[in-house]
Amino acid sequence: MHILLVEDDAVLADGLNRTLQAQGMQVEIARDGLQADALLQRNPPLVAVLDIGLPGIDGFEVVRRLRARGDATPVLLLTARDAVEDRVRGLETGADDYLVKPFATPELVARIRALARRNAPKSSVLALGNLVLDSGARRARVGERALELSVREWAVLEYLLQHAGRVVSKQQIVDAIAPWGEDLTLNAVEVYVSRLRLKLDGAGVSLRTIRGFGYLLEAGA
Amino acid sequence: MSSIRLRLLKWLVGPILVFNLGAAALTYMLAWTPAQLAFDDSLRGAAGALAARVRAEGLAPLGASRGNQDADDGAGEASWTALHGADGRLLAGSPALPPPRGPGLRDAQFQGEPVRIAVAALEWQGAPAHVSMARTVRARGQVRSAIVRSLVLLEGVFSLALIGLVWFSVGNGLAPLSRLRARLDARGSADLAPLDDTGMPRELAPVVDAFNALLGRIEAGARAQDEFRANVAHQLRTPLAGLQLQLEWLAARHAADPDSARSLGLMLQANERMIRQTNQLLSLERAEPNRFARARLQPLDLAQLVTESIQHFVEQAAAKDIDLGFELEAAPLQGDRFLLRDLVDNLVDNALRYTPAGGRVTVACGAGREEREEGSFLRVEDNGPGIPVHLRTQVFERFVRLDEQTTGSGLGLAIVRDIANLHGADLVLGAPAAGSGAVFIVYFP
Repeated sequence: MHILLVEDDAVLADGLNRTLQAQGMQVEIARDGLQADALLQRNPPLVAVLDIGLPGIDGFEVVRRLRARGDATPVLLLTARDAVEDRVRGLETGADDYLVKPFATPELVARIRALARRNAPKSSVLALGNLVLDSGARRARVGERALELSVREWAVLEYLLQHAGRVVSKQQIVDAIAPWGEDLTLNAVEVYVSRLRLKLDGAGVSLRTIRGFGYLLEAGA
Repeated sequence: MSSIRLRLLKWLVGPILVFNLGAAALTYMLAWTPAQLAFDDSLRGAAGALAARVRAEGLAPLGASRGNQDADDGAGEASWTALHGADGRLLAGSPALPPPRGPGLRDAQFQGEPVRIAVAALEWQGAPAHVSMARTVRARGQVRSAIVRSLVLLEGVFSLALIGLVWFSVGNGLAPLSRLRARLDARGSADLAPLDDTGMPRELAPVVDAFNALLGRIEAGARAQDEFRANVAHQLRTPLAGLQLQLEWLAARHAADPDSARSLGLMLQANERMIRQTNQLLSLERAEPNRFARARLQPLDLAQLVTESIQHFVEQAAAKDIDLGFELEAAPLQGDRFLLRDLVDNLVDNALRYTPAGGRVTVACGAGREEREEGSFLRVEDNGPGIPVHLRTQVFERFVRLDEQTTGSGLGLAIVRDIANLHGADLVLGAPAAGSGAVFIVYFP
């Protein structure tokens, strides 16, 4: 997973580098806007993480040039200012997401992954802990153990895996797995999740209930 | 402190009184002199007539010469007559009359009463002589006091009327100052907009201009201060973010070494605190009434706002093993998205912070308020220690912290209060129906 990190603050750039590498990402670092612009053309990353306040040309300008070239590389803007204009302008310029410094590390990682998924050639295999879901082969397993899932259970688990580490609401799940107004109630989602929870025992993942809202699937028992 | 009103009054009323007094004296003279002349003419005439009668009739007209006083002359005045020789010897009449000094009029005291004496010259038995006629001046006194009485009355009323008029005019002239003061009084503490000088008299324009210039400088200063504060806070964010990542990385590496892990944990906590306070300074900044722009209000849904921050809340709750739950119903309102997010963040953060590990926090929102249909509400309920009744107004003040054990800046609830106020919302703090804890409810109109 190739990430371009553009940050002029040495301490933050180094910290981000280590953190993202620990997550299994290959990180390339640029210190200023022009360098970033050049690297984006020479070696397009899967995701670009871009600080707004850069020497040379700022992050907005980098995104503007990127989009002007018709390049759709996903961009996550980092901003130290939370002025309304910054947020709005960033997204209007063509950035895909923004995060205000300082950010929670899991939040950053989750957002980069979400953007990467959008850009990645559709991988049919989703994995978390000992759980592997292969959509192509339509097979799921926990370690070496094959997992028997109903169609709806499969859909729910696939959605949760796609959003691993993120809190998702029951309504989001309903909207995602029954998109054409099929009759699926929130209670039904609860039933599928409780069945999944039993089946995922020993998978090295935790499927937490967020009371009154939804679920959070993460690695770890 | 000197008073413009008193100064004006002093300089107007003083001279007016002096002028009035002068005018009164003049009037008195103008009224009294002709009266006196008329009295004198009449007395002189009477003396002349007496002299003529004495020449013609002898001493008989000096009938009063037997006694001291002639009969009352019918006008309430007493008179005396006498005939003196040129050498001043009394030839006939009242012996009490002083010998005349020659023809003419003069004043004298006679039997303890002021009199006016007229002397006429005549030829008596071949020798020059003088007829004197003395008459009391009672009528004159009456006329005089009548003049004085009416003058005093007239001038008194006149003076009072003038003073009243001056008082009123001064008040009237100073009215623009009162209006200016009223406009200034009506302002909010943060309102530094220039004064409107329409309807202000020309004389006040320089004052208003100078005042507006001062307001301008104050506003520029306040803005510079705001910008400086925001700038510092923003500048801090990047190094704080860097520090956090470095510490996290180090903590992961040294997780196995309890001493290092403990120390790194404390550093992370301290860093987290700095981050939070920096963010709160910026929130406070955003919640300043003079930065609040009605134009930024937009239709929002509280449920949506809570959802946007939910990831952060859930992670924070998980770190403390708090059961965080939601009861989110559509809660439409008009609001500033960023401020309301600050409000939600601070309320939930506050609950998570002061609820002990293993506790329970519930965030709810919905439409309506109690029995009423309109409005919407946000409720954050915890089962922590709660807030004693006598401290419930205090907790919304800046830098008030109830629990020294828990890290907090004491700004969170002040921010919540400021933002609620800006949105015209009611902020209610209570306790749950059963058990301990605190319930914060914000009712939006």
